[in-house]
Amino acid sequence: AGNNLASERHYRSMPTHGIGKYKYLLPREVPRKKREKLKMKQLKPGTDTEYGVLNIQLNGYDMTLVEHYIQYIHRLCNQLKIRVEESYAMPTKSTEFSVLQEQGTKMNMEGVIQSHERIVQVSGLSSLLAPIVVEVLQTNQPEGVQLCIKEHTEADFNARFKARPELEGLMAQIN
Amino acid sequence: MAAATLRRLPALGGRALGAGGRQGTGRPGSWLHSVAGGPGHTPRLEDWQRCGAVCLQRAATLSREKNPMESAFAQLLEQVELEKSLYSDHELQVFEDEEKIRWRQAEDYDSEEEEDVGQDIVTAQDLEDMWEQKLRQFRAADREQEADKKDDRSTLNRRLDEKLTLLVKEKVGDEEIWLLPQSEWKPGETMRQTAERTLSALSGRNELQAAFLGNAPAGFYKYKYPKAMRTSDTLGAKVFFFKALLVNGDLKARRKGDYVWVTKSELKDYLKPKYLRQVNRFIFDTAAMYP
Repeated sequence: AGNNLASERHYRSMPTHGIGKYKYLLPREVPRKKREKLKMKQLKPGTDTEYGVLNIQLNGYDMTLVEHYIQYIHRLCNQLKIRVEESYAMPTKSTEFSVLQEQGTKMNMEGVIQSHERIVQVSGLSSLLAPIVVEVLQTNQPEGVQLCIKEHTEADFNARFKARPELEGLMAQIN
Repeated sequence: MAAATLRRLPALGGRALGAGGRQGTGRPGSWLHSVAGGPGHTPRLEDWQRCGAVCLQRAATLSREKNPMESAFAQLLEQVELEKSLYSDHELQVFEDEEKIRWRQAEDYDSEEEEDVGQDIVTAQDLEDMWEQKLRQFRAADREQEADKKDDRSTLNRRLDEKLTLLVKEKVGDEEIWLLPQSEWKPGETMRQTAERTLSALSGRNELQAAFLGNAPAGFYKYKYPKAMRTSDTLGAKVFFFKALLVNGDLKARRKGDYVWVTKSELKDYLKPKYLRQVNRFIFDTAAMYP
């Protein structure tokens, strides 16, 4: 029956077509929410001979220096077989400054400086290597880049997420 | 310590059990290798005076100057980057302004046709000239400090592109020798605390702030006293070095000639050869890698 093409495919006109279908008999499933809230990976605590998860934070105004330094640190950790969990960047912070001149025409010279931050997360740094690594990092620190090594906390993890003002407003209204 | 209890057992033979016989080390397991009671005095653990020393280092503040090959290559890269780059917004603005000026000074210029007259108070070229002037007023600080020209080694303000280590002159025995600041270990404190005590004894309160790296010593040096100084108890001294990184401050409390901040290559001018050999094992500096 139907047009020429339909009659070429025999299976739909077979009497046993659809014999195995069962899903129409089951109750309708509600479709699941697409995205779940990102949870932090379980932090391994440090033992006596190993540190837990450490954050090596670099701050600076010159992006090339900061970027090259973070690449150097990452490669150093790879070579020393130190496990690098993550290596990410925090959003750039722009600072505007203006110089007001009051000689005749008031010129408002504005400048914008951007400060960049990069973080390497490292876990399982043994206490044998730690002093050596710290000293090497300090020796090779470029000018204008500040180095900071801290332990990773939940607060650091949450600082990466954007704030959602509407959600917070609604939650405040509920509570 | 298992070996300590074993040493007390009379059945295993008294003094021959000394700490490793002629080797003179304090390692616990070494009683297995002891030479059975030789004629002379077999050194024991208690014979050595233990000292903790601190190796205080100030990191380089500036990066090293490029060597000829590096600077030639850097220049080449800059030139390549310049030639491959596109014009920036500012430069395009400068070109536009030049076009406008030429257009205005052309013969068939009709001032009524000009669309926006009031916007050209400050042209891009003027801005550029202002910035250029500001740049000329700026003077960068000198790489070479005064102390470098006078070769004054006792200030921290020298050789900003290299790591400096602190050396002090102490009277040991009869002679005055240069060494890393050290002091004797007192029972009841860890070796690292000895090193910290040495540091605070050098400088008084809150002058030198340093961060110690790790609880384990970075190096070790053992020396025997000259025959005149040896008593029945002390054969010599064993010094354990701890590394510390200078955070803040400077030595002011000591007399001028007594302390020096030196780079690794200058260490050989001050330290004795054997001491220098041991110290060189844990002081590293990247200057030697790039001649």
